[in-house]
Amino acid sequence: MTKQDVVAYIPLKTNWFHILLSLAAGEQHGYGIMQDVLEQTTGKLRLWPATLYGAIKRLIEAGLIERTAGAGGRRRPPPLLPANPSRPPGARCRVRPSE
Amino acid sequence: MNISRVIYQKLARAFPHEFKMAFGDDMLRAGEESMRQLSKRSGIAGVLSLLWDAALRLLMEYWAEIRQDTRYALRGLAKSPGFALVGIVSMGLGIGLVTNIYSSAGALLLRTIPGAANAGRLVTLDKPVSYPYIERFREHQDLFAGVAAVKTGVQFNVALGERSTTKPERVFGQIVSPDYFAVLGVTPERGRVFSAEMDKPGGSPVVVISDRFWRVQLNSDPNAVGQPLRVNGQQATIIGITPRRFEGALTLNPAELFVPTTVPASLAPELADDVLHQPFAQQFQTLIGLQPGVMQEQAEAALDGIVRQLDKGDVNARPQEDHGKRVTLLSAGTRVPLPHQARAVATAFFGALMVIVLAIACLNLATMLLARCAHRRKEFAIRLGVGASRFRLIRQMVTEGVLLSVAGGGAGLVLAFTLLKLNLEVRKPAGAPLSPDLTMDWNAILFAFLLSLICGVGFSLAPALQATRTHIAPALKEGAALQLSGYGRFGLRNLAIAGQIAGSLMLLLITGFLVLGILNGSHVRTSFDQRTMGFLSVDPVRDGYSPEKSREFLEKLDERLRNSNRISGFTLAAQPPFLMTDGEGGVPLVADGTRVQRSMTELAIGPAYFATLGTKLLGGREFEQRDLLEANGAGAAPLVLNRKAAQALFPDGNAIGRRVHDSRQNFQVVGVTPDTRDSAGAIEPLAYLSLTQRDFLQPPPGGITIIARSSSAADALNAVRDEIGSVDPNLMSFNAQTLSEYLEVSRYAMRSALRTYGGIGLFGLILSAVGLSGVTAYAVAQRTKEIGVRMVLGARKTQVLRLVLREGLALFAAGSVVGFLGAAALARILSSIANAFGDALQMNTNDPRLLLGAPLLLAGLGLVACYLPARKAMKLDPVQTLRQE
Repeated sequence: MTKQDVVAYIPLKTNWFHILLSLAAGEQHGYGIMQDVLEQTTGKLRLWPATLYGAIKRLIEAGLIERTAGAGGRRRPPPLLPANPSRPPGARCRVRPSE
Repeated sequence: MNISRVIYQKLARAFPHEFKMAFGDDMLRAGEESMRQLSKRSGIAGVLSLLWDAALRLLMEYWAEIRQDTRYALRGLAKSPGFALVGIVSMGLGIGLVTNIYSSAGALLLRTIPGAANAGRLVTLDKPVSYPYIERFREHQDLFAGVAAVKTGVQFNVALGERSTTKPERVFGQIVSPDYFAVLGVTPERGRVFSAEMDKPGGSPVVVISDRFWRVQLNSDPNAVGQPLRVNGQQATIIGITPRRFEGALTLNPAELFVPTTVPASLAPELADDVLHQPFAQQFQTLIGLQPGVMQEQAEAALDGIVRQLDKGDVNARPQEDHGKRVTLLSAGTRVPLPHQARAVATAFFGALMVIVLAIACLNLATMLLARCAHRRKEFAIRLGVGASRFRLIRQMVTEGVLLSVAGGGAGLVLAFTLLKLNLEVRKPAGAPLSPDLTMDWNAILFAFLLSLICGVGFSLAPALQATRTHIAPALKEGAALQLSGYGRFGLRNLAIAGQIAGSLMLLLITGFLVLGILNGSHVRTSFDQRTMGFLSVDPVRDGYSPEKSREFLEKLDERLRNSNRISGFTLAAQPPFLMTDGEGGVPLVADGTRVQRSMTELAIGPAYFATLGTKLLGGREFEQRDLLEANGAGAAPLVLNRKAAQALFPDGNAIGRRVHDSRQNFQVVGVTPDTRDSAGAIEPLAYLSLTQRDFLQPPPGGITIIARSSSAADALNAVRDEIGSVDPNLMSFNAQTLSEYLEVSRYAMRSALRTYGGIGLFGLILSAVGLSGVTAYAVAQRTKEIGVRMVLGARKTQVLRLVLREGLALFAAGSVVGFLGAAALARILSSIANAFGDALQMNTNDPRLLLGAPLLLAGLGLVACYLPARKAMKLDPVQTLRQE
């Protein structure tokens, strides 16, 4: 992702900002992101599941985050990782099993 | 809580397939966990917020997918511009035509009179009555809120300003009683309208003009109210302007001028002879506003009783033992008052026409989409194979169909507006009444839009459902070459094509019946060249002559014309030849002895009238000079009847020599003429009276018309004008015209209808051509591989051609059978409407020109549509084709 591509999304939507902030610490599952955001905003912003996953879908389509494979062969969507601008585009991160 | 969990689960499962595949499980788990915590902390409010969020997000996800589908469909159509163009043109023609029919027919049959607040409560009698009858109706205020008298289709010579030298224009209008606008509930745009309190006989003449007259003739002059206007040479004042789009009641043709019955006869000759007090001069239409709560049947029964009572005073009225209904009421709130049954039939006819046109367009769309879907079999198979939902594929195809349909709807609206504008701008003969203002309103636009949506969804769903019902492995292997189940003998594609052919044939036949019927019925045939006859009118008394001076002038003129060598023949009359009577203004005539009474129009004519018009009498004689010189009607005056009138009065035998009387005098029948059509194509019973000296002393309303023939109409008119000038150079003649011009004006309405139906038939043909050729070309392209294989195996080019044509012609034959049956059924409906037009629409549903011509035309079209792509297929290099496949 080039700098121009990223600039196109600035200013970030509130939901997007908090999700990316939550993922800055490392890969996360959806429920974990929900709890993080609630904590970050001291309860002021609650991301309901439908809104959360809708935003995650948009972030993946925009290339700002990417999915990673889950461990243990479980058939479930993998946890998410923020697309690190310092990494070369397309590089995949390490998988962390879901909680 | 269980209920809220169930609701949440249902919402989560309702999300789009791809979303569910990616996030469904997580969303469910996260939601349930959140609900557990919320129920402890926030209670019901928190749970409701969660559910609301899910519902909202569901809609947004579907909306996002629809946007994606739209972008995908647009890209797909952009890659197939030919397909897109054919689809848009097809739907555009269909929707445009249907919207135009809806707008025009709706305006005439269904839309209430614009500007008339009381339109819903208005009724009218089916026959004209006398003014005193209308005054008696008014007395029944328990039943009728108001009763107005109307004389429609009156022509006025109107000049702007006070100066008599300004050239007058001919304007169509109405003569109305002062309560006319009150009965209708019309509020003027400017000034005031007539009222019974303010407008009484003897006052200075006033008129009301229409909004169109104000905008076109007076350039929307803000000071128009109060301005003078010369009407038929007399001064009047404009007191008001009607609301926009109000064009009068009880008339198809717009009225531009409204004149009250309180004006003197010099301004409105139709009011001469004290017609307002003649109890049996049936000259006026009635416009009745029913009181609230009064039903039409109740009013009809009451009016029937009143008319019976009034008829008792008429010695010429029907015998009292006649218990038949004397009064029939029609709804008068729409532009054209029609009996209930005729309105229902007319609505059904126009509805059927719209359905056929739309069906052709939609079947076009369906067959094209079907063909396109077949071409994309492999693509669908791959997508289904990797997990795409069938619903998503169907939705994408329906989106494509809806886009084509809506784009076609937009094009159709433009077409409908253009057709309307063209119709209004068509050059009309001078003096023809204006076309009604059938401007499209938002109803028509909404109609077109909804139609596009419904057609798009409806006619793309079936192809989409069929195309996605596929076996993946064979589709992956054979792709487009896979034979769809819909391509079987009774498959969707074949049914659609056959349906299209059936619809096109029906449309061609029906519009053909109408066009030929109008051509046969409305043509006035004469034994002489119509371009050699002209006529004009003079009215010495209206121009200020005394009766004696008027008689002297007319006698001298008559003598000069008889001795003139510039004209080959002439006659006098009280009206132009072939006058359209429409049954109005009929006078009851009673046959002596048999007491048979019939109402018929009396026309006053001079000597040699029938000889001048080239009409040979069936028996007896026509009027001679001695009849003209009769001072008064002493004894029985001579009378000539046309065949229809003679048969009506004397059904038992010969009419010549028999006696007849009306309310004023006795007659003896001296001659019978053949029936001739009037200028509108109708054949009415007519009684011809001789003009006499009395008419020279007191010319009839409209003056004396001089009808002359010469080498050309212009020569005839010039000769007559010169003779008038040589008798009295100060006398003005008016209404000069040739017979050809006069008939062209009178036939104008029928010729407009001819253009309309001819246009619909032509459009239907184009629509079919577009659809058939598009589908056939696509179908042949589909079979490229098959054709390649056949040719490699030894098939000759002619065999390939026969293969393609055989299928097309088989479908054509099947469609034609259904088309004939449908046209026969529709023709029955049409015949019952044609009866309302009488003889003016001579429909012959067995006309061989149509029964053979229409299918041959369509077959030719089908052949060309099949042949061209087939010829292309014959030229294929089989090896090249197989290599590409």
